[in-house]
Amino acid sequence: MIKITNLEKFYRTEEVETIALNKLTMEVNTGEFVAIMGPSGCGKSTLLNILGMLDDPDEGSYMFNGIEIAHFNERKRADLRKHNIGFVFQSFNLIDELTVFENVELPLIYTGVSSADRVKRVEEVLDKMQIMHRRNHYPQQLSGGQQQRVAIARAVVNKPKLILADEPTGNLDSSNGNDVMELLTDLNEQGTTIIMVTHSEHDARYSHRIIRLLDGQTVMENIMV
Amino acid sequence: MFKNYLKIAYRSLTKNKAFSLIHILGLTIGITVCMMIFVYIMNEFSVDNFHTKQKRIYRVMRNFKEMKEGVPYVSGPYAPALLNDFPGDIKQAVRVNTNQGLISFDNKSFLEKKLYVTDPGFFDLFSFKLIKGNAATVLKDPLSIVLTETTAKKYFGSTDKAMGKVLTLDKQQQFKVTGISKDVPPNSHIDFDMVIPITSYLNNTGFNVWINNRLFTYVLLGEHTNKSVLEQKFAPFLTKYMGADMQHSGIKISLSLTALPDIYFEKASAFDNVKHGDKTVVYIFLCIAILIMLIACINFTNLSTIRAVERSKEVGLRKVLGAHKSHLVLQFIGESILLTIVSCILSIGLLLICMPWYKELLGYKLSVSWNSAPIYLFLVGVILVIGFLAGSYPAFFLSAFSPIQALKGKLRLGKSGNFFRQSLVVVQFSISLLLIIGTFVIVKQMDFVKGKELGYNQQQVVTVNLDNDDIFNHRRLFKSTLESNQAIASVSLMSGEPGGFHDVQTYEVEGQNEAFKSRSEFADFEYVKTVGLKIVAGRDFSPQFSTDTTEAALINETAARKLGFTPNQAVGKWIKNTVRDSLKRRIIGVVKDYNFLSLKENMDALVISPSDDRRVAVIKLKPGNLNNAIADIKKAYAQAAPVYPFDYSFLDQKFDVTYKTDIRQKTMLTIFSGLAIFIACLGLFGLASFTAVKRTKEIGVRKVLGSSVSNILLLLSTDLLKPVAIATVIAIPLGYCFMQAWLQNFAYRTPLHWWIFAFAALITFIIAFATVGIKSLKAALVNPVKSLRSE
Repeated sequence: MIKITNLEKFYRTEEVETIALNKLTMEVNTGEFVAIMGPSGCGKSTLLNILGMLDDPDEGSYMFNGIEIAHFNERKRADLRKHNIGFVFQSFNLIDELTVFENVELPLIYTGVSSADRVKRVEEVLDKMQIMHRRNHYPQQLSGGQQQRVAIARAVVNKPKLILADEPTGNLDSSNGNDVMELLTDLNEQGTTIIMVTHSEHDARYSHRIIRLLDGQTVMENIMV
Repeated sequence: MFKNYLKIAYRSLTKNKAFSLIHILGLTIGITVCMMIFVYIMNEFSVDNFHTKQKRIYRVMRNFKEMKEGVPYVSGPYAPALLNDFPGDIKQAVRVNTNQGLISFDNKSFLEKKLYVTDPGFFDLFSFKLIKGNAATVLKDPLSIVLTETTAKKYFGSTDKAMGKVLTLDKQQQFKVTGISKDVPPNSHIDFDMVIPITSYLNNTGFNVWINNRLFTYVLLGEHTNKSVLEQKFAPFLTKYMGADMQHSGIKISLSLTALPDIYFEKASAFDNVKHGDKTVVYIFLCIAILIMLIACINFTNLSTIRAVERSKEVGLRKVLGAHKSHLVLQFIGESILLTIVSCILSIGLLLICMPWYKELLGYKLSVSWNSAPIYLFLVGVILVIGFLAGSYPAFFLSAFSPIQALKGKLRLGKSGNFFRQSLVVVQFSISLLLIIGTFVIVKQMDFVKGKELGYNQQQVVTVNLDNDDIFNHRRLFKSTLESNQAIASVSLMSGEPGGFHDVQTYEVEGQNEAFKSRSEFADFEYVKTVGLKIVAGRDFSPQFSTDTTEAALINETAARKLGFTPNQAVGKWIKNTVRDSLKRRIIGVVKDYNFLSLKENMDALVISPSDDRRVAVIKLKPGNLNNAIADIKKAYAQAAPVYPFDYSFLDQKFDVTYKTDIRQKTMLTIFSGLAIFIACLGLFGLASFTAVKRTKEIGVRKVLGSSVSNILLLLSTDLLKPVAIATVIAIPLGYCFMQAWLQNFAYRTPLHWWIFAFAALITFIIAFATVGIKSLKAALVNPVKSLRSE
C-alpha cells in the first residue's frame, strides 16, 4: 500500500538546517498494523505527517497504492486524503463547538455524502464505538476515553483504507488506553491498515511490526509474533 | 455543509459572548450611523422630485455683475412679459409671493406665516395633490383659498366641513375655501399652509411696477426648449422692459434660470426665504459616514482575524479531514456576512429608536421610506461589501495555515500580518483623531463667533417685527408709547436689525465716477443710540436739524474707506440713493464699523439714512425686570395692533438662528466623533485582549524573573499604543489642512493654536491607554504559576 524510498525532509531556520528524515525507505502492506517508535526528535511525527499527506517531502518518492504523490499539490492531496486516510491524535482534536454526532459527521460532509446516508453511517459507527448515548453531547462533557472513541469513530466513518494514529493513548489512563488499542486491533482485523506512532512499548505490542527511528533513519525493525 | 457552517458560526459566537458583543456592537453602531446619514442624504436629494413636470420647471433668477449670488425675487410684470415675448419656449409662468396674514373664522384667529399668494396655475404647474378641488380651476376665483389638510382641520375640525366656508384675511378680505391639498411633503422647497390667487393684488404697485421685486417666478419650458439658448435671449428682453430703469439706477442685471431640483441647494439669503439645504453639509456628512464605516470595517476585520486564530484547531482539523482552501474561504466569508446581517437587523432597530432624536437634531421632518427600494439596496450593499471586505482577510489568512501548525496550536500571526493589523489601527485612530480635531475647531470657532465684540448692543435688546398693516400704520403710536415707559431706554424703527436684512443699493457719491454699491439701513433718528454705535467723525441725526430726514446720511468706516476718504474727509460729502432719493444727502457722520451682517460675511460698506422703510422695531431696555418690560411692550403692541398676536425676540438670540447649520454641524460632529473613537476603542480593546492572551507565557516568565507589574503594564501598553502614536503624526497635519479650509467659510476666524492639536492627541491617548491598560493590568496581575502551567 505504501512505499517510500529515500525520503528526505529538512527544517530550515535562518541559521540552522535540521534533517528530520534522512533517506528513509520503508514499505507498509495492506492490512498491516505498524508501530513507529523512537526518541523525541527522531522524525516520527514528520513521517506521519508526510504519510498522511499533510506535508510534502523535500526529496524521495512516496507511492500510495501505486501512485507517486510526493509532488501532488494541496488540492489533490486533500482529495486523496479524505477518501483514504483517517486520523487519530493524541489530543483527540475534536471541535468544541460541535456535538459528538456533528464531529463524526464532518468527514462525510467533505466527501459529499448525502444527508440521509450521513445519519445512517454516523449512527452505525457511534453504535459500534458504544457512544451512541452521547451523540448530542459536546466534547468537553466527555471523559478522555470517550473523546478518543469519538475521534476514532470520526477517523473510520469514511471507511478509510489507512488509519494514522499519533500516540492515541498518550492522554489516557491505562484502562482507557487498552480499550483504544483493542478498538484499533479490531479495525485492523477487519482489514484496515494502521500506522501508529507511540512511545509506549506496551501499545507497540499490539502491532505486527515495530519500526524504530533515530535521527530520521530506520535503525531496527522488530516483527511481532 | 451550509447547515454545519451556520451551526458552528452560531456556537462560536455564543461561546465568547463579550468578544462577540464587541464584534457586533462596533459594526452595528457603524451601520446605524451610515443609515442615518444615508436617510438624510436621500432626503436632501429627493427634494422636489415629486413634481411630474420637474424636468421642465425653472425659477427665474436676477444676477448682478458685482455680486456672486443672484436674487430670485423679481417683480410682477416679468411673468406676463416672459409669456408674451417667448411663446414658443415658455409655456406657463407662475408667480409665488410668500406672505403672512391674520386669518379669522368665527372667533378663531391665527397669524398664518405660510400664506402663499400665487397665480391660479399654481396647482397645475406643481404636483401638490388636491384632496378636494380641481387643480386647473381651484384658484380661478380671485377670492378663493386652498388650505392644506392640517390647516383645514385647525379651523374647521375636518376637511369636509371646510369646503365652501369663508375665511377673513387681515380683518378685511374674505376668501372662500375652494380646495384642500394634502400637507406639503417635507421634501419640498415650497412650503405653504394656504394659497390664495394673486389676481386681486395685481393692481397694487407692489406687484405691477418693474423695479419692485418681491416675488418668485417659476416657468415651464417647452418640451424641446434649450435652457441656455433661452437664457441668451434674456438680455434684449431686459433692455426692452428695464433699459431705462437700469440706466437710471446704474444697476446692470441679467436673468438666468435655475432648474427646480437645484433651487433647494441654492444659497439661502434674506432675498430667498424658501427652504434651502446646504450641499457642503451633505458632503461633510457623507465623508463622516464613509470614515465611520471604515473604522467599523477595520474593527471587524481585526477582531475577525483574532477570533479566527482562536479557531485554528478547527481550521487545521477541517483541512486534515479534506476541506479545500475554497471551503474554508467560503465558510469564513459566510460567517462574516452572517454577522453583518445580524448587525444590519440590530441597526434597523437602533435607527428606529434614534429616529425621533435624530429628527430633532437635524431640525426637520425626516421619514425613512421603508417601502422604497433604496434603503434595502443600501442594506444589501452594506451586507455584501462589508461582509466580503471584512471577511476576506481573515478568510484567506486562515485558509493558508498549514494544518500541522494549526493543529499544534502553534499558529502565529506572522510579522507581515501583524504589520497589516497595526496599519489598520493606525488608520482607525487617524480618522478618530481627525474627527476629534474637527469637533474642537468647530466648537472653538462657534465660541469665538459668539464671543466676538460685534460693535453694537446685544444684551437687553428686543426686536418686534412690523409685519402687519395695523402695527405698521400705528408704528408711531407704538414707538411713543414705549418711549414714555420707564423700563425702556430707547426705541428705533428701521428696515433691518443688526444681523438682519440690509439691502444692497446703488448710490452716487461726490467725487466718484462710478455708482457706489453699498448695504443700506433705513432708520429713524434713534438708530445710533438704540443699537449702541459709536460716531468716529461728524455727528448723529438730530431733530434739531429739520432737514436731516431728507438730506442727511451716516456711513460706516468701511464705506468711507471704500470711497477713498478718511472718516473726517467723508463728512460733508454728498451721497444720493439712485432709486429712492430725490435730493442729494450730506454725509453728516461716520460710525465705527460694527458687524451688521453675519460673521461669515466680511465687513461691508453701509449707508444709514432716514428714508421711509420700516420693518422692525428695536427696543433697548433699561437694566431691571425683564418680564415687566416685555409685558409693557406687549401692552403697547395690543394698543397699536389689537387683533394680531404679539411676537418678539431678543437680539442676542439671533446668533442661534444665523448659525443654526453650524451649530447643528457642531452637535452632529461631536456625537459622530465620539462614536468613532468608541468603535476604534472597541477594536483596540479586542487587540489588547488578544495580545494579553498571546503573551501570557512571556508575562509569566518575566514575572518569575522578577519583573514588576508596572514594568509589564508598560511593556504591553507601549506596544499597543505605537499605532496610536503614528496615527497622531498622520492626523495632525491633515486635520490642520481640513480645518483651515473649513474656516475659510468665515470672515472672522479663530486661530488654530498648537494646543488644540496637542489636546486632541492627549485625549485620544488617554482613552486608548485606558482601554489597553485595563487588559494589560489584568494580564500583568495573573499569578505566573498559572500562566506557565498551561504550557
